[in-house]
Amino acid sequence: MNFELDDDQREILNAVNALLERHAGHARATALAQKVEYDHRLDTALADAGFDAAIDPLTLDGALETILIIEAVARAAGVTSFPAQALVARAVAGRAVAGPVALGSGDLQSPIRFGAHAHSFLFLVEGEARLARLDVGDAEPIASNFGYPFGRISRQAIARSESVGPQSGERLLNWWRVAVAAEAVGTMSAALDQTVAYLKDRRQFGRAIASFQAVQHRLAECAVRVEGSRLLVYEAAYQHAPEEASACAAAYALESARQLFRETHQLSGAIGFTREHSLHAWSMRLHALGTELSGVSGHRRALAAARWGTR
Amino acid sequence: MDFEWSEDDLHHRAEFQSFLRDFLPDNWDDLSQGGPGSDLQAEFSRTFCRALADRGWLTQHWPIEYGGQDAPPWRHSIIGEECWAIGEPRGPQYMNVNWIGPAVMRFGTEEQKREHLPPISRGEVLWCQGFSEPEAGSDLVALRTSAIRDGNDYVINGSKIWTSYVNHADFIILLVRTDPSSAKHRGISVLLVPTDTPGIEVREIPSVVGERYFHEVFFTDVRVPTRVRLGPEDEGWSVVTYALQYERVGAARYARAAFTLDRLAELARERGLLDDPLVVDRLAEARTLCEAARMLTYRVIDQRAHDLPPTTDTQIARVANTTADYRVGELAVEILGPDALEYGSFADANFRLAMTAGVAVGSTEVQLNLIAARHLNLPRE
Repeated sequence: MNFELDDDQREILNAVNALLERHAGHARATALAQKVEYDHRLDTALADAGFDAAIDPLTLDGALETILIIEAVARAAGVTSFPAQALVARAVAGRAVAGPVALGSGDLQSPIRFGAHAHSFLFLVEGEARLARLDVGDAEPIASNFGYPFGRISRQAIARSESVGPQSGERLLNWWRVAVAAEAVGTMSAALDQTVAYLKDRRQFGRAIASFQAVQHRLAECAVRVEGSRLLVYEAAYQHAPEEASACAAAYALESARQLFRETHQLSGAIGFTREHSLHAWSMRLHALGTELSGVSGHRRALAAARWGTR
Repeated sequence: MDFEWSEDDLHHRAEFQSFLRDFLPDNWDDLSQGGPGSDLQAEFSRTFCRALADRGWLTQHWPIEYGGQDAPPWRHSIIGEECWAIGEPRGPQYMNVNWIGPAVMRFGTEEQKREHLPPISRGEVLWCQGFSEPEAGSDLVALRTSAIRDGNDYVINGSKIWTSYVNHADFIILLVRTDPSSAKHRGISVLLVPTDTPGIEVREIPSVVGERYFHEVFFTDVRVPTRVRLGPEDEGWSVVTYALQYERVGAARYARAAFTLDRLAELARERGLLDDPLVVDRLAEARTLCEAARMLTYRVIDQRAHDLPPTTDTQIARVANTTADYRVGELAVEILGPDALEYGSFADANFRLAMTAGVAVGSTEVQLNLIAARHLNLPRE
């Protein structure tokens, strides 16, 4: 057991944070959101820096290192399918998959995150992972208020898919759960930081709102949730996404995401709903992440099945 | 980062589990229902802790010179996890080894170390803590029990409340005000007082938690030599702060909650309740709380293993632990329904232990205050 970052991990984090400072942030995310655009520039920067190819998530430390990058990208509100491409697709297919990558499960005609921009669509059907290559015209953009570009992928493109192989469905479920939980962690921590900064600054009744105990306790509870989520995600990634740990991390992190949305918005007041204030760049995403893989109830069902053999 | 147990640790856990299977009596489940401070468990702790000591497991994390083996904190936390999960066969003695002993090591005189550490590490002595007072609960620094110097003695007057284990304890680690003119953190001292000292009177406070769970302790002209003081006079607050850092994650509540939850799932299965998706959802949610608390607690143990100074990660772990414990306790009542109402039933016993979680050892609200001030750096008024 060792909870400290090692030198490699620290170096990766420093490098990715330096890159994100130049290429991401809420202003960029907001600008892209207005055009329902994807951040190809950020993808290129991450690829040029070697973050997508240099780390193999199936090596001993690779998964955790990739998770650290995913968390950092989410904190910086990156509009990129890096988590799906660098972690999920690579771990499920065992090789690099052309990005951007969109992930799907359940009703494949529902809005798919990055669906309109993806070159690869990795999805789950009847317990099997399948991969479809998408060309121009295979998907159409869908307007959404939930912080990412979404698209609807044509049935024809889905019909052209190929199986990723035996047991690929379970691998997809488990790695996806870890990835989405890691995105939730980065997104939650940024939403909380943003809210804390605002409430320290904003004064009402002659004092900073953040000095009221009624407010402080709620923020402290949020902090407990963020910290717990992060550690569960790290552990699941370190163990290479076993079913129970992955479902547990996702169930806790996405439940936390709901609470973080509610609390950060409630405490930020009306300004929190505006486009000029940056909270929405993260907060709205929390609910988008919460819809994947049947959301919290789906993760909990999976956790109970793994733990107690329920169906 | 690395979240794997070493081979040594895995072996240690397996060996300890096997010892527990052999050593614990068949009726352990019944015997352990009253909690660590019940008559049965306090008594059993004397046998159990001696057996642990014989195997070198009771205080293995202590330095060799004080009867330990300099084992990493992880080794001791494995024992703590396994013990607390099944209802703490170390009884009140878990406190001795977790924080009373370490506080004596850190602040004690050579004489105090010689007097107190060997009996603790042999599992022969029971302690209790005299912190809270009727007018000093969450606001512990408001304590008023006084110890006034009289030659080479202190004369203690006042009272302590909510004191668990005092009915069995040989010693009480007592917070007193040695400077009556002082207020707040200054002027507090820590005394190590034998409970058979004349002038000490113990009264049980009947409660719904269980029998002989809470007590009030009255001190009337209790005379002790000044050499029983732990640490500098009037500066006992630093001793308390040190001790509380250990105590707040000392009890592996997450392990108890997770163990209880697995049994609850089995009971639910026997009753056909696992076909209800809402029951499954609630069980799984509770499991996530236990797991988050486990990892947050591990992080604190890891910091101790790295000899890092304590941080608010301790309070964060504490809040997560009490949340998990409480949730499992109330879920047992909810899922098992009217069966929970019978005194001594599975759900009843667990609920009674769980319901104090957010109050004991510093209320959740005090922990949240500390997280707000020191982790989030939120301003005071």
